[in-house]
Amino acid sequence: MSAAGSSNPEYVVARVRARRGSLYGDEEYRKLTRMGPAEIARFMEESSYGDEINALGSRHGGVDLIEYALNRNLAEQFDAILDWSEGSLYDLIARYLRKFDAWNVKTIIRGAYTDADQSAVEVDLIRAGEFDDRRIRRLLEADSIDAVIEVLEDTIYGEPLREAYAEYEETDVLVPLENAVDRAFYERLLSGLGGDEPTRQYEAFLKAEVDFRNATNALRLARSGADIDPAAYFIEGGDLFTRSSLARLAQNLDELVEYIGDSQYGDELGPALRELEEADSLIAFEHAIDAALLAYGDRLGTVHPVSVTPVISYILAKERETENIRAIARGKEAGLSPDEIESELVIT
Amino acid sequence: MLEATNELGNVALSTGGTLTDPSAAAALAVGLAALGAGYAERGIGSAAVGAMAEDDDLFVNGLILTVLPETIVILALVVVFIV
Repeated sequence: MSAAGSSNPEYVVARVRARRGSLYGDEEYRKLTRMGPAEIARFMEESSYGDEINALGSRHGGVDLIEYALNRNLAEQFDAILDWSEGSLYDLIARYLRKFDAWNVKTIIRGAYTDADQSAVEVDLIRAGEFDDRRIRRLLEADSIDAVIEVLEDTIYGEPLREAYAEYEETDVLVPLENAVDRAFYERLLSGLGGDEPTRQYEAFLKAEVDFRNATNALRLARSGADIDPAAYFIEGGDLFTRSSLARLAQNLDELVEYIGDSQYGDELGPALRELEEADSLIAFEHAIDAALLAYGDRLGTVHPVSVTPVISYILAKERETENIRAIARGKEAGLSPDEIESELVIT
Repeated sequence: MLEATNELGNVALSTGGTLTDPSAAAALAVGLAALGAGYAERGIGSAAVGAMAEDDDLFVNGLILTVLPETIVILALVVVFIV
């Protein structure tokens, strides 16, 4: 677990491909949509989630148990990948997995803001990023936002948070702090990438993800018609939008859809955009964007078999799986029918 | 890796004398073939160990695939008998 020495994509890719085989497929999802929460937990216990369900089964139950088991399994799988990888491969994977650090920091800041119980915050963390247990413990023990920032002083989040803290003290809203965390993450994500063809493809993939995220945000803002400055939600690094073009396009839904349709992603997102125009459903569009991203990652993974891309494609597929299972469990809890739940899933 | 092979070739050509001797050249051929096989096995071996770590049943497959590049060395050994 270090960024020194030469990288070992063969080893990591072999392990990751084996794990990929044990992800749930169409058949399993169809079964899961017809089960209750307790049955889903039982089903998971018999598959790759056995350890987590057993460890958490005595303390939690029902949908909570599923949720926490998913989080913990995700964290363990991604931690293991970081453990195996060395050299430049570690750097490339850690870049992407740092988004869980960003998620954890935001969760902890929110917890400190609302004076939430330490254990309540702890179960919502996903320990998949680079932060070790000691730092997370210190973060959890910090009882104010100021103390949280102090613990993060020597990380990439320290400085941006410190700058945003003044603004937070003036306005008492968390948005500047959360934006600072996101921006620190995305700045590191795309900086100083270089080298060979697979790495360039990986960069293109990361840029596509940033573009898609911007597109979804813009669509949401355009549809809601809310009076929010779109530039405040803009994420740097993509090719598709600039801060000003996003702000302009978010005013007008038709123009935005046309702009995305004419872009380099037009082919992948074309069907999704037509669906958006016809069915007027943003959810379907967001799912189509996720599916397009998954398919893109898969394609990269087969084009460059011995590189970072198959690992990223697995990470995406695994994340998608946990989100699907979570959607099924939550849908069941809310009493949705199997068909309705199936429309919430993203299966490739 | 490749650069090193090139350099080795240059040395073999420039020094002349002993290395143009047929048996010395054959020895070099076997050595280079073994080097290539070793490099190939590096990648296959680490992938095989990775696969085995996930699934013990893959031991036999992994072993066979790992030693497959050895055939290059055996073929190169033929040269020793022809010269």
